[in-house]
Amino acid sequence: MKDVEVTVMRYDPEEGGNPRYETFTVESKKNMTVLDSLFLIVENQDPTLSFRCACRLGMCGSCGMLINGRGRLACRTKIEHLGDQIKVEPMRNMDIIKDLSVNMDKFFKSWEKVKPYFVPKENTDEFSIIPPSSGRREIIDENQDCITCGLCFQSCDTVSLRNGEFIGPAALNRGYTLIADERDGLREERLDMLSETAEGAFGCRTLGACVEVCPKGIKPMVTIQKIKTKKLKKSLGLKW
Amino acid sequence: MEHIDADILILGSGGAGLFAAHHAADQNPNLKIIVAAKGLIGKCGCTRMVQGGYNVVLHPDDSMEKHFFDTIKGGGGINDQEMAWTLVNDAPKRIRELETKMGVFFDRNEDGTVHQKPFAGQSFDRTVHKGDLTGIEIISRMRDQLFAKPNVITWDEVRAIDLLVDEDSQKVAGCLMLNIRSGEFIVVHCKAVIVGTGGAATMYKIATPSLEKSGDGMAMCYRAGTDFIDMEMMQFHPTGLLAENSRLNGGVLEEGLRGAGGYLINALGERFMKNYDPEKLERSTRDRVSRAAYMEIMAGRGTPLGGVYIDVSHLGKENVRRMFPGMVERCRDVGKDLSVEPVEISPAAHFHMGGVKVTTNCESNISGLFVSGEDAGGVHGANRLGGNGVCDSTVFGARAGDAAAAYVNNLNSPGKVSEAELNNFINLTLEPFNREEGENPFYIRNALKNLMWEKVGLVRNKRDLEEALLELDTLEKRTNNVSVKGSTKYNLTWQEFLNVRNLITIAKMVTKSALLREESRGSHYREDFPESNDENWLNNVFARKGPDGEPLFWTEKVKQSRMDISKIQGHKIVATVK
Repeated sequence: MKDVEVTVMRYDPEEGGNPRYETFTVESKKNMTVLDSLFLIVENQDPTLSFRCACRLGMCGSCGMLINGRGRLACRTKIEHLGDQIKVEPMRNMDIIKDLSVNMDKFFKSWEKVKPYFVPKENTDEFSIIPPSSGRREIIDENQDCITCGLCFQSCDTVSLRNGEFIGPAALNRGYTLIADERDGLREERLDMLSETAEGAFGCRTLGACVEVCPKGIKPMVTIQKIKTKKLKKSLGLKW
Repeated sequence: MEHIDADILILGSGGAGLFAAHHAADQNPNLKIIVAAKGLIGKCGCTRMVQGGYNVVLHPDDSMEKHFFDTIKGGGGINDQEMAWTLVNDAPKRIRELETKMGVFFDRNEDGTVHQKPFAGQSFDRTVHKGDLTGIEIISRMRDQLFAKPNVITWDEVRAIDLLVDEDSQKVAGCLMLNIRSGEFIVVHCKAVIVGTGGAATMYKIATPSLEKSGDGMAMCYRAGTDFIDMEMMQFHPTGLLAENSRLNGGVLEEGLRGAGGYLINALGERFMKNYDPEKLERSTRDRVSRAAYMEIMAGRGTPLGGVYIDVSHLGKENVRRMFPGMVERCRDVGKDLSVEPVEISPAAHFHMGGVKVTTNCESNISGLFVSGEDAGGVHGANRLGGNGVCDSTVFGARAGDAAAAYVNNLNSPGKVSEAELNNFINLTLEPFNREEGENPFYIRNALKNLMWEKVGLVRNKRDLEEALLELDTLEKRTNNVSVKGSTKYNLTWQEFLNVRNLITIAKMVTKSALLREESRGSHYREDFPESNDENWLNNVFARKGPDGEPLFWTEKVKQSRMDISKIQGHKIVATVK
């Protein structure tokens, strides 16, 4: 198998200065992912490299990184698809802890702003009866699988430009799935919360990066437009 | 060094840790509760990785007795019967709590009622699920719900190093923690600790769990002096994906593939399960299917990658894609299309049935120390049924939360942290930085994984186990000679040193227990004692740290408090037809 060059951004904010880039040569083998190459580096070449991962199967959303300039999960990005030179950098729009590891607090602070928790409409212990053919869960099913990896948040230029004053794609998407959940009791409050402040849905400039990078195939930009539509309908006194 | 006071400290943010947090907070919203995890809260751990689903009695034709019976039979008859009975009885409450209080939405039947699918080793189709990636939904909603509880403080990437126990009163006094990001220690002074960090199956070459797991909770409990039960019982999942050079290796292909009628095939094209369990075939329990696959591989009937095949293509391309989208996607990562072709798989270390001996309220033998989820032992006996894992972590996580809150409310004099003990733990943790040259912990980990796979794996014998014990001593000495470079800040090599140290502690208990149990039962198979021996071995193997730091062992008869084991059939291993 051939060798590939993996260039990794190194940075420790406490040491200050500018980030530096270091290149490591890694033997590329079948099925190997970018995450595998980072492990090979820390195990055999530079024991001080820092990065984050957990499940290694695309389920936990811990290993979001910029890989050749695009936001991806390191565990699901195969080296063989990336050519001979691979550049790995930390996610944008978040503070770097060290090297490739970022502090996701900014992402989760915005997540928290949409009240991401379920507030049951009725106090019941019974399962609601909702046949799949009714379509009553369709929009939720499409958007429910978010693994909070932050890739959409880091790719969103509106988040960057407005420096944290836009909630961002994932959180708005979460907010919408709760509006669409007929079992939830805060429907109206949620719609106003997601649309009435400058941080909310109307801040979206439909740039579409969130749709492009989502490893779960969710389309937050589309969901955000649905929030806007609902808000307009509500303002006009139409059924929403 | 920071000192922080709390009422309850919860270690781990999987199903056990998060359910414990919810229940403790609901019991008393004035309690200060900290949930700390080695990774990001709700993202690390294995509840998120649950695929198949959650076993629970909901249908009028099903019953607690049936679920209990299946659990005991699947467990080879050595389960703690009170724990197993608690499991099946609490499961319906927890599944309802998940749906109606936390907003989880499980898959439905055409008529809108909750769908329950077939799983191996069960007499009734009782597995509730969300597609084939159930855990993401469960853990995401539990995490979201915590944002509504301000008295629960969450700490990302703060791992526990060691429990602090008041020597005089034998009560928990707190825990030494390490902020992985800053590399700084934190001392938490608290009244109760709930341990739910998950197991140590990652000590095996091919393993399914999340990479960060390293049996930390169990290893800490061992050092603190808790009792352990049946540590030899390590489950191998039959269908771990083979991915050659990638850490994708061992990723589980879910149980439901066999439940739905998938075939397991050896390199000769034979459905080999007919030679091992002619009645249940692929729907036999995990222990049996894994062992059968392993024996096929050892007999030279393995695939090019050293596994066997799973084939579900006869179910129809569209059906497979509809029912198992997550599994189809996973196989695509190794260039295979599960819906139209066989995929290479291997048994993979998955779940530790053994663990800390606790009561049905998750109390250990140290006051104020509660253990739940995979860290606790007994409930599954010698083998866990697929779908009983997330059931375990949620049921016993909730009970631990309730019990810890009650304990804290009634506690008059909390334990005191000993400075000497604290300093000793800190020095041991920092030791690798004092060595200019030394061992690389990642290499020790690889050696450990190979050793456990080859000598303490699916098929065991006295000679191998004895050799493994000697080699584990060598690995332990190598671990004591690890050198770590750089700063303490987000230092993965240092973290790996701590991981390996804990894994070896657990590996020694697994190996010694396996040597002691001279019979085969459930996941524990001794080729030198190939059958179950109910006469002498309807026993549990217990362990505890002895005065020299090495474990002491003893056995006790299984308490048949709810079911007479002689009344059930098929719980034993009998010599296989070959």
